[in-house]
Amino acid sequence: MSRFERKILFAIGLSVFLALGGSIFLAQGALRDVYAVGVNERFGAELIHGVEARRGQLMALREGSDQVADAVSLAVEAQLEKRRHASSLQPLLRDLLERYEVVHGIRVLDDEERELASVTREPDPLGATMRTTTRDREAGKGARKVRIAVEVAVPEVYFERLQEAGEVADVYSRLQRQSASVSDVYAWVFGVLVFLVIVVAFLIGAIVSRRVTRRVTVLAEASRKVGAGDLTVSLPTGARDEVAELTKAFNDMVRDLRDSRTRIEYLQRISAWQDFARRLAHEIKNPLTPIQLAAQEMDETYGGQDDAYRKKLEHARAIIEEEVATLRRLVGEFSAFAKLPRADLSPSDLCELIQSIEDSIPAILEDVGGGTAAPVEVRVSCATEPIRVRMDPMMLKRGVDNILRNAIQAANEAKPSGGGRVQVRAYASEGSGFIEVRDNGPGIAQENWDRVFDPYYTTKAEGTGLGLAIVKKVVLEHGGEVRLDRAPEGGARFGIELPLMESR
Amino acid sequence: MRFWLAALFLLIATVAYGQSQWPLRDLGVTWSRGAAKVSFSAKDLADERVRQELSSGLRKRLVVTVGAHLKGSNWRMAVRQFGCDVTRDLWEDGYLVRIGDQSARLKTLEQVLNRCLVVDGLFVGDPGGYERQKGKDFYFAVRAEFNPISKKQCSELIRPTSGDDPVGPISVNIVRRRICRAERAIEFRSELLKVPE
Repeated sequence: MSRFERKILFAIGLSVFLALGGSIFLAQGALRDVYAVGVNERFGAELIHGVEARRGQLMALREGSDQVADAVSLAVEAQLEKRRHASSLQPLLRDLLERYEVVHGIRVLDDEERELASVTREPDPLGATMRTTTRDREAGKGARKVRIAVEVAVPEVYFERLQEAGEVADVYSRLQRQSASVSDVYAWVFGVLVFLVIVVAFLIGAIVSRRVTRRVTVLAEASRKVGAGDLTVSLPTGARDEVAELTKAFNDMVRDLRDSRTRIEYLQRISAWQDFARRLAHEIKNPLTPIQLAAQEMDETYGGQDDAYRKKLEHARAIIEEEVATLRRLVGEFSAFAKLPRADLSPSDLCELIQSIEDSIPAILEDVGGGTAAPVEVRVSCATEPIRVRMDPMMLKRGVDNILRNAIQAANEAKPSGGGRVQVRAYASEGSGFIEVRDNGPGIAQENWDRVFDPYYTTKAEGTGLGLAIVKKVVLEHGGEVRLDRAPEGGARFGIELPLMESR
Repeated sequence: MRFWLAALFLLIATVAYGQSQWPLRDLGVTWSRGAAKVSFSAKDLADERVRQELSSGLRKRLVVTVGAHLKGSNWRMAVRQFGCDVTRDLWEDGYLVRIGDQSARLKTLEQVLNRCLVVDGLFVGDPGGYERQKGKDFYFAVRAEFNPISKKQCSELIRPTSGDDPVGPISVNIVRRRICRAERAIEFRSELLKVPE
């Protein structure tokens, strides 16, 4: 794992743990507060009071039933004292049953447990389930002693409600006793689940970040390769994000470096060739005059009568003078190549350059035609808008003239009786200005496209191989590029690309 | 996997050790037809507060669990549990005691405690369970509880909210265990015994 990856993971872990750890802390406090609001002493006390109230209600009912039993007993005793016959009890018992709702039955028994009178309340078929019990009372004295069994009843639901209230109060008091631990349980469970979420989030973060860091690592590795001099590196940009932008910028940088290095290498090579041309011109130029003078002197000072020898001398002198003239021309061209100045760039319009080139076309045609204009149609066109570039018009015109001359020669040689065509045009596109020169000559074989710009490489019998080398040097010094490919007409197409001023 | 197995083993060992440290008490143990019958009293469960609660008129529960454990192990050879629902009758004097499907009306609290916490000749396990452990050392562990809330009742009383979050159900399960446990419990164990050959 790289240091960068560790830092990213640390950042993810820190942010995730801080955020979620903070939430656990806050949630714990919130849970305690919420629990304290829901389960508090007052509610518990009220519930217990409710239970006590229900218990009190039952105890009151019990006491009431005792008092009713006493009242019934007293009434029976009074009736027995007033009317000694037991048959008089039955109306009284019915009256008492009607009067006391809690009473469900009354039986009066003598001391031998014989029933003297009794009443029983008819059970209500739709009524509630009742809990009954018998309250025994004694009345009378001696032989008139009786036992009065009063059956009292209360709804069973009173007892059930007491139990339900008791259960709720019981659970509530337990919740109250456990208030701290219950909220802690929630906080702990929440914490554990949050921790699991943290772990999952961290793992996802690690996986996602690893995709980014891996791309950064690849970028770093590619940078090391570039640093070691490998400028063929190119990385896939992939997704649309900042890293992809960085990768794209890296690729652009490497491409620019590669182009710059190619340009510098070419210019260095040209410089070396210029140095070589200067020495060659110097070494050849110096002996030419003595050679020519010596040949002239040998011819002119011969005093002999041998005509054949004289003719040989004259022939030799002519050959020497012709070759010296050729060498002088070569020396001149070498010298000119060696003295080629550096381009002095200034803002200019490509169309103006094209116009000046158009002006020189008749002279080139005549030169190529050997005194008469070569039968080649030359068309020149330019955009209506100015194409502003930084250039040295003289140097660039010289370069374009070279290309144009080659094109006219090629078209003329391919179609000496007419039909040769050359097109020169200037235009702007995608931040660059272009000059295109194409012809309908035989073209240049594709395997030679890279070599034609090398100094001293030529396919022409009388060429020096310096023209296109000069073109490329001039264009490179303009920060541009020159390319060669096949024209739609079948001949060669040279394209010069120069950066527009606005794009800089 | 190895970690979880080790954790499980540690947990079992801890429980077994904890149980083996319960206080000793004389338990009457007799053997009848290959099964053990135990006799003991857990009336000391009923302290003053428990007695008050039992006389409150609210239904209270007394539960006694007797287990036969092999020495050094948490494995239970046999277990027997019984519980009493005790309600003091506020309408009439006395106590209603419900043991399983049977009900009884007892006059005094002492009678209730004798019925529910004094065990005389209670069969624990069946002969087959002891047959397989002949000659091995074991002991009886007794746990008497006052008013634990039954699982069913506890589930009815404490329910999770109907949300989809996992916090509620998990927490409620833990809270139930705490809330519904006995209000008071005593635990003791017998001396080491040997399963008859």
